[in-house]
Amino acid sequence: MTPSSFEYFSPSTLEEACRLLESHPGEARVLAGGQSLIPLLKMRFTTLSYLVDISRIPGLSEIREENGTLHIGPMVRVAELNDAPSVRQYHAIADAARIIADPLVRNMGTVGGNLSHGDPSNDLPAVMIAMNAVFTVTSTVVSRRINARDFYLDTFTTALKEGEILSSISVPGHSGSAYLKQKRSAGDFSVAGVAVALDMDGRLCRWCGIGLTSVGPVPLSAAKAEEMLRGNELNASLIERAASEASMEARPSSDFYGTAEYKRYVVKKLTKEAIELAIRRAGGQ
Amino acid sequence: MMSELSTVDMFVRGRGRFVDDINLLNMLHMAVVRSPFARAKILSIKGGINGKELKGTLESVGEGATEGAARTIEPVLPVDMVNYLGQPVAAVFGSTLYEAQDEMSGVEVEYEPLKPVVTIDDALSSPPIHPYTNSNIISDRWRGKPFEISAPVELEDEFYNKRVATNPIETRGIVASYDGRLTVWISTQSAHAIKEGLCSALNLSPGDVRVIQTDTGGAFGLKGGLYSEYVIASYAAMKFRRPVKWIETRREHLMASRPGRGAKGKVKLYADRDGKILGLKGEVIVDGGAYSGGMAEFSSNFIAMQMTGPYAIEKAHVRAVSVFTNKVPIGPYRGAGRPEAAFFIERMMDRLADELHMDPVELRIKNAADDRFKSPLGVEFEDSRSFIQRAASELNYSSRKGEKPGFACFVLVPATQPGESCRIVVRDGRVKVWTGGNSHGQGHDVFVRKLISQELQVPESIIDVERGDTDMLEEGVGAWGSRSAMVLGDAVVSVARKIRDQAEKELGRYTPELLLSNRYDVYNFQKHERPLNSLGANMVFAEVDEMGMVNVREVDAYYDVGVPLNRDMVEGQIIGGSIQGIGQVLSEEIAYDSQGQLLTASISDAGLRTATTAPRFVIKLADSRSSLPHGAKGLGESPTIGVPAALVRAIELVTGRRIRETPVRPEYLLGL
Amino acid sequence: MEREVSIKVNGKLYREKVEPRMLLVHFIRERLGLTGTHIGCDTTNCGACTVLLDGRAVKSCTVLAVQADGKEVTTIEGLDGEKLNPVQQAFLDTHALQCGFCTPGMIMTAYWLLSKKPDPSEQEIRDALSGNLCRCTGYVNIVRAVQEASRRMRK
Repeated sequence: MTPSSFEYFSPSTLEEACRLLESHPGEARVLAGGQSLIPLLKMRFTTLSYLVDISRIPGLSEIREENGTLHIGPMVRVAELNDAPSVRQYHAIADAARIIADPLVRNMGTVGGNLSHGDPSNDLPAVMIAMNAVFTVTSTVVSRRINARDFYLDTFTTALKEGEILSSISVPGHSGSAYLKQKRSAGDFSVAGVAVALDMDGRLCRWCGIGLTSVGPVPLSAAKAEEMLRGNELNASLIERAASEASMEARPSSDFYGTAEYKRYVVKKLTKEAIELAIRRAGGQ
Repeated sequence: MMSELSTVDMFVRGRGRFVDDINLLNMLHMAVVRSPFARAKILSIKGGINGKELKGTLESVGEGATEGAARTIEPVLPVDMVNYLGQPVAAVFGSTLYEAQDEMSGVEVEYEPLKPVVTIDDALSSPPIHPYTNSNIISDRWRGKPFEISAPVELEDEFYNKRVATNPIETRGIVASYDGRLTVWISTQSAHAIKEGLCSALNLSPGDVRVIQTDTGGAFGLKGGLYSEYVIASYAAMKFRRPVKWIETRREHLMASRPGRGAKGKVKLYADRDGKILGLKGEVIVDGGAYSGGMAEFSSNFIAMQMTGPYAIEKAHVRAVSVFTNKVPIGPYRGAGRPEAAFFIERMMDRLADELHMDPVELRIKNAADDRFKSPLGVEFEDSRSFIQRAASELNYSSRKGEKPGFACFVLVPATQPGESCRIVVRDGRVKVWTGGNSHGQGHDVFVRKLISQELQVPESIIDVERGDTDMLEEGVGAWGSRSAMVLGDAVVSVARKIRDQAEKELGRYTPELLLSNRYDVYNFQKHERPLNSLGANMVFAEVDEMGMVNVREVDAYYDVGVPLNRDMVEGQIIGGSIQGIGQVLSEEIAYDSQGQLLTASISDAGLRTATTAPRFVIKLADSRSSLPHGAKGLGESPTIGVPAALVRAIELVTGRRIRETPVRPEYLLGL
Repeated sequence: MEREVSIKVNGKLYREKVEPRMLLVHFIRERLGLTGTHIGCDTTNCGACTVLLDGRAVKSCTVLAVQADGKEVTTIEGLDGEKLNPVQQAFLDTHALQCGFCTPGMIMTAYWLLSKKPDPSEQEIRDALSGNLCRCTGYVNIVRAVQEASRRMRK
């Protein structure tokens, strides 16, 4: 279908964009790459009166590494993540950037869009949760920082308040990380995705983050599985148990994309593989 | 629009002429308001062109056309009841597509939702969905003859091929225009079938209607029959005296375009301990959808007819049932009953082989026919034994058994009847051809040119294959059912030969120069009443990973296509059809919940294979020719018939899980 | 409510007034009459609408015309001149199309891939085409076409 009518703004500053959102509460949305929003508009499920295009605001498309932290602007296209050398060390981000949707959607779709749409099957949220990323959220009055783990409140509901725009994403570096996704043969959505980030001292895991895609109303952190690994030496049996734990922490529903049992099974397998891959990468392999 | 069908070089340049490319002066776009319920009473309806204004029913035309019971035929637009999600209820119009879609919210319909009948089991156990009927049985008949035997081995099983959408990349579409006469441009497999249907539904005489085929972006059975939207668009064009365009959205396609498959089969084999099958009993139940007339009645009977496959089974008795459900009526989808029949019998052959610890190919050979055989269910074929043996040998079955291949073989029963038409006009040094079946990607123009060039000894470059146009051709049947190489080819050759004979008679001798410096206009409807069946076999290799995902490694085909008219085309059809067959097994389904609401929400959900599906192909063609002048046999549907059964067997062998249904889900393979 | 956009399409600059909701694919097809770019779905899956936007392949059904303001679009009609582009020619030579409806989208994606990666592996080709659906061909000959075009373009 075609979208119903809306008004469109293309502001040249972030402040202007925030003001526009503020002045049309509940009726305005940010347009970044449009790859999540435009399909919704075409279904006429969402009727919006105002679209605020942030693509012409300078300074939102940077990828910058500083003091072991990667800073990504919201307008960075997913495809650009693939091409940026500084992203390579942030393995889970690079992994996700290769498997989000398809190459054409990745050319338009943005990091900001993928992170703030609030669909539990978007890939980057679980990655940011695993990597303990912090989002900078800007309004006309203030910028605040929200940890990715606190950002996803409910399906299609994030911690963004009216008038706020996700303006920057800061990702701490880790020894190794990985994102693995299991796609079904049919359908846009994955069965499950698992992101793992590790800070290692040899085989000792100082810190661990695990994020889960598509297996709950929001992207999840497998907190208990994380606890099991943190501060311990990672051996095969511990990894196995953590993977089982993660699958129990998933909250999948049985639907067209798979039964809950199958999704948990996939989470378990992917978690194990993602941990092992992150370890290998931490070891420089 | 150019009268000639676009050729491949036009397509790569983006210069095809598909129906949505047509823009006429003053044209209106049509948008269709549809039922949001699988079953409901219509309490009131206001707005748009609706059933209060446009009355009448859909004539069943095209592939699998049957006469349905009058009371349960689909109305063009319903007045009292809706019976499937997505059923058209009203049409609105606008100068642009955007405006037309904006108008949709202006249609007010009050519904009283009712409990829908969704599954085949529901249909058999629920009160009838249609008033004045006794049950949800659309048709119920038997094929073959009852028998009673006792056999040392009696094996029974049940199978299910779920509904699959045709999903050509170009959806349905029509542009209708009226200037005292109705002219319709349409994406179609048969301009003549559409004309016949429109005349009937709108009570017009044949002289009042002209149907022209646009370039057609795939069809696979979708575009041979009549649909409400075509009637409504035509009516609107006549009412408003403005051209009306309707282009189906993909969501509409998933809801309201006729899907295929949707059949359950029960098979019971009676055999001796050496594997010789003594008899077959069976039952086919087709999920016919909400209305009668058309494929629903045809399908169960047609499937039942083919249930003994290429085997010399002397005794057979099969019940063929079609039921009403509150879903869109089914239609023909590439294979149209043939794949279902092959699935049912080939699965049973594998089961029997396993039961008797016999090699499945040897079991098939054992049960094949040596000579001409006509099955008790009605299918004729010849010498399937040597065919299956040759297939096994050509595909190296014995030496590759360790790789756990699935093997399936079948009789291809093309829809040759009643034949096909062709008209050739020679004028101004060019040769123009019109054919009754309209190509939608199979490259008919390529072999049509080749055949005419051979018969008339003229260069292919002066031959114009014209698009289907009911004004230019008296009668026509359609391009479906694996028929075109045969019956269309035959019609083309027959007309070319008539012209040659005519030229020779008039001029004393024949040369292409003499031909081209004169004028000829010859039409012929080449009848075909006899079946022209052929045989085919597939061998498929697959592996399954830890997530239950299937990787199809290799698809082998050994088909008897007679004389291949064009090797590229033959291979293209086999590869494309094989990928569709893989889709049916691994990922394609039109799924509904218990309220008859669609779970399959997008073309991606519908499970079409993407470019990442990459089996290796081995294609071998039997050395043979048919009795037709150009030696061709049928082809188009063969891969959708043989590949699913062979693939399912391969998966079975590598996982040890007995497979009875398509699509196969990873959960099932993992035993979760 | 309408906005004026300046969009260069196949090298020619167009200044048009459009509703913000107008999709780029409709701008191309209806406003400019370039009907080689096709519409095959409504959920950004099929890729029949693929065009280049500032040199990158995108699905024009999921881009607003206003998003393309000030940018350059290349459609299938912009690929050939007096001769066919090597990608187009390769599609003909390897029998990579049957009905032709997905073909422009496939060619645009292939053209974009080869502009970034002149010598892609088979897997890279298949992955690049994973957002373009074909129902007729089974993709084998399409992949061969891209390989053939790559070979010819590298000569």
